[in-house]
Amino acid sequence: MQEYIIKRVLFTFLTLFGVATILFFIFRIMPGDPTAQVISPALDPVAQAALKKAYGLDKPLIVQYVLYLKNLVIFDWGRSFTSSQQVFGILTYRFWNTIFLMGAAMCFVLVMGTGLGMVMAWRRGGPMDSGGTVLALIFQSAPPFVTGLLLLIVLSYRLDLFPTGGMHTPGVSIGSGLGMFFSGDFLHHLVLPTITVALYYLATPMLIMRDSMLEVMGSDFIELAKAKGLAPHRVMIKHAARNALLAVVTVSSLMIGFAIGGQVLVESVFSWPGMGQLMVEAASSHDYPVAQATFLVLAALVIFLNLIADISYCYLDPRIKIGKSKG
Amino acid sequence: MNQTEAKIRNLFTVVTILIAASLVLAPASVLARAGKPGAVVDSREITTATATFDPVRPEAARVIATAFQSIGWDVKANPIDYNQNVQKVIMEHDYDMWLVMLSGASLRIDPNVFTYKKHFSGEYKKGGWNWEGLSDMSIDELVVAQQKEMDVEKRKQIVYEAQQRIKQSQSMSVLAYVQMTNAYRSDRIKSVVPMMGEGIGSFWTDINMEVVKGDGYVRTGATSPLKNLNPVAAKDHLEFMELRMIYDRLFRINPDGEAEPWAAKSFKVIDPTTIDLTLRQGMKFHDGEEVTAEDVKFTFDYHTKWKAPFFVESLKNVASVETTGKYSVRIKLNEPYAPFIPNLLGAIFIIPQHIWKDIPEKAGVTDPLNFANEKPVGSGPFKFDYWDRGRELKVTAFKEHFSEPKSEGIIRVVYGSHDAMAAAIEKGECDRTRYILKPSLLMDLRKVKNVVAEGYPNHGFYTLSYHTQRPPLDDPAFRQAIDHVIPRELIIEAILSSFGEPGGSIIAPANKFWHNPAVKASPEDINKAKQILKDAGYWWDKQGRLHYPK
Repeated sequence: MQEYIIKRVLFTFLTLFGVATILFFIFRIMPGDPTAQVISPALDPVAQAALKKAYGLDKPLIVQYVLYLKNLVIFDWGRSFTSSQQVFGILTYRFWNTIFLMGAAMCFVLVMGTGLGMVMAWRRGGPMDSGGTVLALIFQSAPPFVTGLLLLIVLSYRLDLFPTGGMHTPGVSIGSGLGMFFSGDFLHHLVLPTITVALYYLATPMLIMRDSMLEVMGSDFIELAKAKGLAPHRVMIKHAARNALLAVVTVSSLMIGFAIGGQVLVESVFSWPGMGQLMVEAASSHDYPVAQATFLVLAALVIFLNLIADISYCYLDPRIKIGKSKG
Repeated sequence: MNQTEAKIRNLFTVVTILIAASLVLAPASVLARAGKPGAVVDSREITTATATFDPVRPEAARVIATAFQSIGWDVKANPIDYNQNVQKVIMEHDYDMWLVMLSGASLRIDPNVFTYKKHFSGEYKKGGWNWEGLSDMSIDELVVAQQKEMDVEKRKQIVYEAQQRIKQSQSMSVLAYVQMTNAYRSDRIKSVVPMMGEGIGSFWTDINMEVVKGDGYVRTGATSPLKNLNPVAAKDHLEFMELRMIYDRLFRINPDGEAEPWAAKSFKVIDPTTIDLTLRQGMKFHDGEEVTAEDVKFTFDYHTKWKAPFFVESLKNVASVETTGKYSVRIKLNEPYAPFIPNLLGAIFIIPQHIWKDIPEKAGVTDPLNFANEKPVGSGPFKFDYWDRGRELKVTAFKEHFSEPKSEGIIRVVYGSHDAMAAAIEKGECDRTRYILKPSLLMDLRKVKNVVAEGYPNHGFYTLSYHTQRPPLDDPAFRQAIDHVIPRELIIEAILSSFGEPGGSIIAPANKFWHNPAVKASPEDINKAKQILKDAGYWWDKQGRLHYPK
């Protein structure tokens, strides 16, 4: 088991190195030039040379690459070409904005999804099962920006219950970090985007939970538990659901990874300054340091969530005993 | 041994083939330049940006391509990423036609940019402005003369003549002067001051608008996040729009487009290469230090030393800046340069010497272009309050300024899209736009109570550049003919929601002082276009395809 974990971790770092390398070259292969961003498209060669020097782009590619790898390891991620700020600072700020939004939405999705999936499976074929499946599929098929716009039109423009976007009312201080969650203004702004994201992702854990519950419910031990005379809700929650959770864990770890990077549209509908918007801005303005870092962080997140899912298997399912199959 | 020999022979063969190929291809490419006599006119492409960057451009490019096809010329629209546009056109000169917007930055009110930079033959170089590759002796003479003429009325006459010659050469077709489409809440703010090329996002609105209702702060909406608050490293117009509130300039371009003394109280042109400036007394930086001639001298020296990207070109012409008293400086130029006052003195920001003398050393960077300037200190009418990255910038009125703002301050809010910003204005969450709002949204906002949604005059325009080194675009008669084919009215009505006017001269009518009213837009007239082509020897085959003269 230990051996397996060490091996997995090593592979993880190897993958990360690969991703970092690909990212470095892919942005430089992209046509265009970061120095072409200067105000009027026409640019004085002297100014261009000065910018190249300031950005460190005057050095040979291979030297840039070695520096990049070195700086990656020591967590000195350089400065943004466009804002001159430390990439690490920009990223942390944007990352948390997205995490707050996605964290809220994902908690909602996972709790509601597994709960609903469990009940739907338990009452298979009932109105809740079929109705829930149809609704969830509709919201998953609708692009999130459409759901978002509909929510905005109804709840914001028409009924005036929520603001049209942003993280807070202009000029109102909402503190920073987790303190934001104690600000009513922030929570007020958080509601609509959270619902939008949640509706989109709800189907995944819900349907997986439902399927996996149905599978588990056919097992002998459920029959046995029922035969023992245990209360139905006890059988449902303690015996069936616990075993069915495994599949949800796998899928949701991946889902969360993608959710964090994949919400460009929701972020732009609700003017939410998160990672998704940052990725688009950085890539389109050829801000290599920021673009590389955002994509890398995202890749790292997905890879690590995968790792955690794999490792948590060993604990969630006692049947999986890797490396000791002979014993 | 044998193997090595074979390798050498192979190498030799390859080299021979390469040389032979280049010998064959070289004349071929020369031929291609001239356009084969009697052959079908070469197919060409209109390069432009994608709809995500600007919905108008690909749409207009398609309409124009269709119009060109109607005279038997095969033209396609090719919308690609804007950054690639710049690379292909300005850096590599590898394009046929380019549909682009030359926006109305205040630097472009002075005719130098659109006459000299855009048409002087020497500007056909990597990164230069004459990407059309126009080379016309008579235009060269005129545009150089206007640059050296320090007498404004005489200069105006030269600029008038230049506009006429430039229209005849038709190295580019001005498509439409597009209005600045802006909106604001009339129940929240009043006394906005529109300015050419800036609309109500102008500096003059910033300092003059009053808040009717609310906490005294104006919430200004923008659709792209602010990138940088470093006045030396600033590169784009959106940064300048915020920086100019915090930092002062020696001159400011007034709403009529003329440079007027600002931090400089008065100026005197001693001779065409010597200018004396006298500063206002008692100006203060936001940290309480006085603004003196030393700071002005330091500003020039610093920008020159570190090659500030936006100013490096104009600074090349500055020979020296010396202080002649506590509040006076003398600037010496290398040669007479008429646009010097509006384009350098009206643009460069006065930076405090006591802060910037330690930068980059004490800021932990090697180059001031990498300095984030998180807490900008200037001497402008607004002082920096906070900048919440990606979300908002707040500036507060600086009460000790000689031109104290009428509001308490301004909060710049970033919206995710034009639609989100329009919705915020409709709901009253946003008080005014900083820059352009999509014309189609303006029509909707007009129906909302207490919202003023207008198009304001602009000297910027959409234009179609012709690469005049490629046939058939190397033929002035051909260019004049196709200028009559462009459906300007259709573009304005259908794509610009009527917020524009047909374009003729490179100096827009909004720029009243410099615009030559005799230079008008070519009327859409396909028959006339065909006549010009016929007179120049072009002909059509049975399928209606256009051919080069025999």
